[in-house]
Amino acid sequence: MTTRSNALLLLAAIILALAPAGLPPYAMTLLTEALILGLFAMSLDLMVGYTRLLSFGHAAAYGLGAYAAGNLLLHTSIPLIFAVLLAGLFSGIVAIGVAWVCTLASGVSFSMLTLAFAQLLYAIAFKWTSVTGASDGLAGIPRSPGPFGLTFFSGRAGFYYLVLGCLIGAFVFCRSLVQSPFGAVLRGIRENEAKTQALGYNTRGYKIAVVAISFALGGLSGALYAPFAGFTNTELLFWLFSGQVLIMVIVGGAGTLIGPIIGAAFFMLVSNFLSSWTDSWALFFGAIFILFVLFAPQGIWGLATRAWNGASPEAKGRRWRFLSSTG
Amino acid sequence: MNFLGFLITQCLNALSQAALLFFLGVGLTLIFGIMRIVNFAHGAFFMLGAYVGYSAVALTGSFWAALIAAPILVGAFGAAFELGILRRLYNRDHSAFLMVTFGLTLIMGEAIRLLWGVAALEVPVPKSLSGIVFILDEPFPIYRLFLAGAGIVVAIAIWQFLERTRLGLLIRATSQNAEMVHALGTDVRLVRSAVFGIGCGLAGIGGVFAAPLVTASLGMAPNAVIDTFVIVIIGGMGSFAGSLIGALLVAFVQVFGTYYFPDLAMALMYLVMLTVLVIRPGGLLGKEA
Repeated sequence: MTTRSNALLLLAAIILALAPAGLPPYAMTLLTEALILGLFAMSLDLMVGYTRLLSFGHAAAYGLGAYAAGNLLLHTSIPLIFAVLLAGLFSGIVAIGVAWVCTLASGVSFSMLTLAFAQLLYAIAFKWTSVTGASDGLAGIPRSPGPFGLTFFSGRAGFYYLVLGCLIGAFVFCRSLVQSPFGAVLRGIRENEAKTQALGYNTRGYKIAVVAISFALGGLSGALYAPFAGFTNTELLFWLFSGQVLIMVIVGGAGTLIGPIIGAAFFMLVSNFLSSWTDSWALFFGAIFILFVLFAPQGIWGLATRAWNGASPEAKGRRWRFLSSTG
Repeated sequence: MNFLGFLITQCLNALSQAALLFFLGVGLTLIFGIMRIVNFAHGAFFMLGAYVGYSAVALTGSFWAALIAAPILVGAFGAAFELGILRRLYNRDHSAFLMVTFGLTLIMGEAIRLLWGVAALEVPVPKSLSGIVFILDEPFPIYRLFLAGAGIVVAIAIWQFLERTRLGLLIRATSQNAEMVHALGTDVRLVRSAVFGIGCGLAGIGGVFAAPLVTASLGMAPNAVIDTFVIVIIGGMGSFAGSLIGALLVAFVQVFGTYYFPDLAMALMYLVMLTVLVIRPGGLLGKEA
C-alpha cells in the first residue's frame, strides 16, 4: 500500500466518522447496516480472495455470531461491547471444528461441505427452540449498557461508532495479517497449494487458521447485527445469504479487503433502490453477478484502481488472477 | 406388525428415492466428467423441470406428455446457457463456473416465482399409477414402485448410451482427453453443449418425477443441489457408477434414518459423506483427491 492510498483510506475513515453529524436517521440506519455487511464481506475475502477457499456457507459465521450475541444480551447482563466480542470469539472457535472437517476436501468439495454445514445449522436453528426461538427467531434483543453504566453505545450514533470501530479495527487487523508472512503463505496456497506444501508448510493448518479468523470476524458482524436489528431469525443462516455475501465480495473485488466493503455498500444501495420499484431484485442481482464474473472479475475496486493507475497490463492485478486463466 | 413386509416396503421406498437422486446425480457427474465444471444450478434445473411438468400436465392433461416435454425444454435451456455464457469461461478457473451457475440459480428461482407464483403447485399422480398395492400386507403406493422401475430403466439406458452409441463414445473420449478428441476432428465444443443439455434434461426429468411426490415449490432447488452434491461427492466426481452407488447410499440413509432417527436424518447423510471423505478424499469411485 502506498502513502497515497493510506491517505485516501484515512480520509474515508474521517468522512465515515463525521457522518452522524450530517445524515438523517434513516440514512444512518442504512449506513450502519452497510458497514456491518462490509465487515461480513471483508471477513469472507480472507478465505475467497486470499486463500481461494470458496465458501458457500459463510452465513453460518453470521448466524452463529448473531444467535450467540442475542442469547448473551437477552439472558445475561454482559455489556453490549463484550457480548459482541465474545460472540465473535465463539464463532471463531466453532469454526476450528468446521474447518477441520471441511479442509479434508478441497476445491468444489470444500465449497459443498461449507454449504452443507451452514444448511445443517439452519436446520438446527429451526428445531432448537429454546436457544434459537425456531422460526420466530429471537426478538427484543437489548443493547445492554456498560461497562460502568456506560450507555453511549446504546444510542443510534453511539452504536454506529461501535460498528465503525469494529470495522476499522478488523480492517487494520486483516491488512497486517495479509501483509505478514502468514498472509504470504495464504497467497501461496491460493496460487499453488502443492508447491506451498512442498516448501514445507502445513497448508491444512494454515487453511484451518484462516477459516477460524474469517469466521470470528464474520461472527463479529453477525453479533453486531443482532442488537442493531433487535432480532435474529433463521434467514441469517439461509444459503441465499451465503450467496449474497459472496456476490458482495466478487462484485466489490476479491483479494483487496477494501473491495468487499464497497461491494457490500453497493449491494445495500442497489437492493434498496431496486426493492423500491420491484420485489424481484434477486433477478437483477443474479444478472449483475454473472456480468461481473464474465466481464469484470476484478470487481468494482479492481476497475477503479486500474482506471486510477492507467490500464497497464500489470495493473490488471495479481490479486484476481485466481478468477482467470491458470493455464 | 409384519417386519418382513415393513422391511421390503421401506427398501422399495428407498429405491424410488434413489431413482430421483440418481436423475440428479448422474447429470451432474456427466457434466463434471466432461467439462470439469460444477453446475451449481443443477437444483434449479430440477425445479424448472417440476414447474414445466406442472404446466404440461395442466395444458395437455397427460403426465406422459410432461415427461417428454419437460426434459426437452429444460435440456434446451441448459444447452442454450452453455452456448451463450459458459462457453466464454473455459479458459478460466473452476470457481468462475461455480459463481456463474450460482447467479443463474438466483435468476431462475426469481423467474420461476414470477411466472408460476409463490404457492406450491400440486401435480396429480397419473390415474394409471395412483392407488396402492399390498406387499406382504403392507400398503405401498404404485407411483413409488413405478419410480423405482423408471430409475432402473433410465440407469440402464444411460449406461448403454455411454457404452454403445457414437455420442456416448465421444463423451467418454472427451472426458479422458479433450484435446486429442478435438485433434481427431470432432468439435469438442458441440459435445460439451450436448452433455450440458443432457445433464440438465436429466435433472428436468427428475423434477417431473418428483413433482407428484413433493409438489413443485421454490424450496426444491437448494435441497436438491445439496443432496446431489452429497451423492456425487460420495460416489466420486465424474463417475457414472459412483453416482449410482451414491444415490442408493444416500436414499437408504434418508429413508431408514427418517424412520429410526427422525431428528438426525439430515445429520446422518452428512455423517456418511464425512466418513467417505475421511477414508477416500476423492469419493468411493473417484480418481482425484
